[in-house]
Amino acid sequence: MSQAAEGSSGASTVEYIQHHLQNLSVGEGFMTWNLDTIFISIALGTLMVVVGGRVARNATEGVPGGFQNFVESILEFVQTQVKDSFPGHNPLIAPLALTIFVWVWLMNFMDLIPVDLLPLIGTWIGLPYLKVVPTTDLSTPMAMALVVFGLTLFYNIKVKGLGGYLKMFLFHPFGKFAVPANIVMTTIEEIAKPLSLGLRLFGNMFAGELVFLLIALLGGAAALGAGLLIWFPLQVVLDLAWLLFHILVITLQAFIFMVLTIVYLGMAHTTEH
Amino acid sequence: MSESKKPGLLLIGVGQILTSMIVSGFLLGYLLDLYLGTQPIFILIFGGLGFIGGFLKVYRLLTDPELQ
Repeated sequence: MSQAAEGSSGASTVEYIQHHLQNLSVGEGFMTWNLDTIFISIALGTLMVVVGGRVARNATEGVPGGFQNFVESILEFVQTQVKDSFPGHNPLIAPLALTIFVWVWLMNFMDLIPVDLLPLIGTWIGLPYLKVVPTTDLSTPMAMALVVFGLTLFYNIKVKGLGGYLKMFLFHPFGKFAVPANIVMTTIEEIAKPLSLGLRLFGNMFAGELVFLLIALLGGAAALGAGLLIWFPLQVVLDLAWLLFHILVITLQAFIFMVLTIVYLGMAHTTEH
Repeated sequence: MSESKKPGLLLIGVGQILTSMIVSGFLLGYLLDLYLGTQPIFILIFGGLGFIGGFLKVYRLLTDPELQ
């Protein structure tokens, strides 16, 4: 709330929100490096690998303990999804789906940490900006979507052959009498897949973060005058409600990202399109 | 997709398929225009094609249970 406290006009509200949506970055233009995004996503990935490795090393046969049980249930859940919606056999798909699900979920989960907490700690150690949720930075979802797109291209060409893949561009939506339109249309369709995959995750998480910021502003208004503390109970109620609802959103978004990855890669593996 | 048991999962993203096909049509047209220097022509054609294609795709997804 420190940002809202500094001014006493509507401008400080805008400043507060803009401050929270600013990445800690170096470089300019195309070569901008969003350090907070990179650091937090790598840290969460490391956490995932370390915890997963520890569970795997300490795995016991027979009746598993609490945490091992939890991890196994996630594994089983992902495996069922892959089995149900992926035709054929590819050892890469299940680990990929599991990684995407858990990693995206963890990055989304950063949204549930109080919006001012980590940026406040950041200012103590001298960081001017800190955007905590990696998935609210467009770079992260689009990078993941591009990786999936690359894999889709690779398996399309591997399974169908370069000729078979290009043939799909020639005759796909309108038959053989409208080849130029078909080429454009299929190209648009292929580009639309990673675009929608990345933008969906980004849009949902960005909007969720913004709602958290707006709710935080309710209590922040008390800095203008103690009388506005009347809004504080409302903030608590709203924050709790949105928090509970947002747990659903982050899980659903991680799930959708995973499922669509499996489906797109499955489409790449079927010879008849 | 006919071999897949759960083609219905694609339907999760039907709304975004429509919008993102329009967007990618405009994007492709814009890039081509930038490359060829023919400012408004291809962005309009590709945008229109993306619009038609998006509607067609959504229509097919929603009507065809086999999702061809």
